[in-house]
Amino acid sequence: MAGPVQQVEVRWRPSRHARRLLTLALAGLLLATLTRRPELVGVAAPALLLLGVALPGRPGRPGRPARLAVRVGLASSRLYEGELAAVDLAVDDTRFDTRWLLEAGRGVEPASATAVNGAAARFEFTVPRWGRRQLGSAALVLHDPWRLTEGRAEVALPAVDCYPQPAVERTRVVLSRLPNRLGEHAARAPGEGTEFAGVREYVPGDRQRAINWPASTRLGRLQVNTFAAERSQDIVLVVDATSDVGPPGTSALDLGLRGAAGAARAYLDGRDRVGVICYQWGGARWLAPSLGRRQFYKIIDTMLSADAGWGRGETFSRLPRAALPPGALVVVFSPLLDQRFVETLRDMRERGFGLFVVDVLNTVPPPRRTFSDAMTRRIWRMEQQAIRFALRELGVPVVHWDGAAPLDLPLAPYTRRPLVVHR
Amino acid sequence: MSALRVLTAAAPRLAAVLLGAACVAWTAVPPRHTGLATLALVVSIIAVVAGALRLALADVPQPEEGFFPSAPVRAWLTFLAVLRGLPWEEIAVVALLWLEVQHSARTSWSPWHTAALGFGLVAYLLAVHIAESGAPAGRLLRRQAKLLLAGACLLALGAGFAMLPAAGPGAGSALLRVLAAAAVVAAAALVLPGRD
Repeated sequence: MAGPVQQVEVRWRPSRHARRLLTLALAGLLLATLTRRPELVGVAAPALLLLGVALPGRPGRPGRPARLAVRVGLASSRLYEGELAAVDLAVDDTRFDTRWLLEAGRGVEPASATAVNGAAARFEFTVPRWGRRQLGSAALVLHDPWRLTEGRAEVALPAVDCYPQPAVERTRVVLSRLPNRLGEHAARAPGEGTEFAGVREYVPGDRQRAINWPASTRLGRLQVNTFAAERSQDIVLVVDATSDVGPPGTSALDLGLRGAAGAARAYLDGRDRVGVICYQWGGARWLAPSLGRRQFYKIIDTMLSADAGWGRGETFSRLPRAALPPGALVVVFSPLLDQRFVETLRDMRERGFGLFVVDVLNTVPPPRRTFSDAMTRRIWRMEQQAIRFALRELGVPVVHWDGAAPLDLPLAPYTRRPLVVHR
Repeated sequence: MSALRVLTAAAPRLAAVLLGAACVAWTAVPPRHTGLATLALVVSIIAVVAGALRLALADVPQPEEGFFPSAPVRAWLTFLAVLRGLPWEEIAVVALLWLEVQHSARTSWSPWHTAALGFGLVAYLLAVHIAESGAPAGRLLRRQAKLLLAGACLLALGAGFAMLPAAGPGAGSALLRVLAAAAVVAAAALVLPGRD
């Protein structure tokens, strides 16, 4: 089995079984002496015999190594939320009866038995929520053939990066004005693409194969087909990590990261350049737009950093200019709870960026009976409605996503035709 | 998980519980109503039941410690700590032997009764170890078969010593029989090789 080798220290001591046998033997001998009944010595006899063979220097008794080499193999150090993974453990010394006990770390759920006998063991596990997780530790218990001494060693298990499960997104929002770069989206400008755009009169230099013969026959002059140019676009995904509200697993930040991961995959599959900005307290982590499969993992690694860095108090209002190429479509995943973030969106809109907001707020303050609480809750609702209304008035589409349905569903009205951005 | 796998996993625990209960029943009959005997019986029952519960709840993970746990969670944590912290099997063994001593005036076959209890106690402790360590029972018993057989012989020898008539009426001759039995056991323990 492949995997790094760890040298672990083994602590030896009498086993619980030995302590119990010793108790039986001592109790039998003591009571025999006190009550002068020889049959109680007989009761102690099997226990004494078993303990006698474990005395040091007996033949057939293996030595007790102070250190052991343990191999730890992890199938992959990266996995998605809920994905089944496994860690393999093996010890080279096979003279002892070996037992492995898994002690899973925080946020790690065992998916198989947590105690396995044998020189090698495989523990399966899942990580239900994204983030960097320590798998925990495994206790290695060694027994001699008589089960009277046991050696214990702790094996530290490695950490894994759990990626947010990408949301299902197959369709894409495409801007009406695309940068002059070869891609897969049909643009308004004529070009060398495959999508039919119209018919115009032949001019010298046009390719002969582009002649539309039915139209030419009908009009009496040569007509040629024109095609739409195929362009790519720049996408910047903005994840609002300032407010993580809702139950763990379906909180606003969870949905934001899953939605952003799904969107990144969908746009990168469409040969678009995708970047990401994680907006959080005290600053932003960002990655400039780029192409390719590696970019997907870079984006998720950047998003995972949203797990830390909650340095409240630092001021931050404008997003980094280098992370926002001109003419990019900015897709925002936010619960829209932080007023400064909403101001940042307004600022971006005023700078002429095409904005699209996916609202991931799926929780409300709990209902209470007192009048003041009910009134506060109502004011909060109205404030939320006002924020969304103000964004729509600025020409920023705001759609709500519950995290359960595919992301295509709320995006459907905007994926059927190009998104026109008015400056 | 299939029923067969559940049964396979539960069989050693069930065997340990049954052996513990059998030892208690074997020692308690006929019932004696003296204070010490009743106390020993109650302690042995509690210890066997607690040991059985410990084995049954062995796979239940320790709940993660949190801030301000509720009263039921605190009670559950305390219960698990008591169940897993005390040596219930040792307590049961001592209580059962003490209860057996209380039955000194049972009948003429009393030594054989004690010898049978000794065999039951060793089986109980082996079953508990197999249940808690998950060791393959067949392999373990095959390895220790010769030693267990020798132990059974010594057990019978001890009972036989008890049935021999004493050389004299005093306490010294009874103690001599005990010492003789202990010497035989010690000699066997030292002479027997450690190979299986």
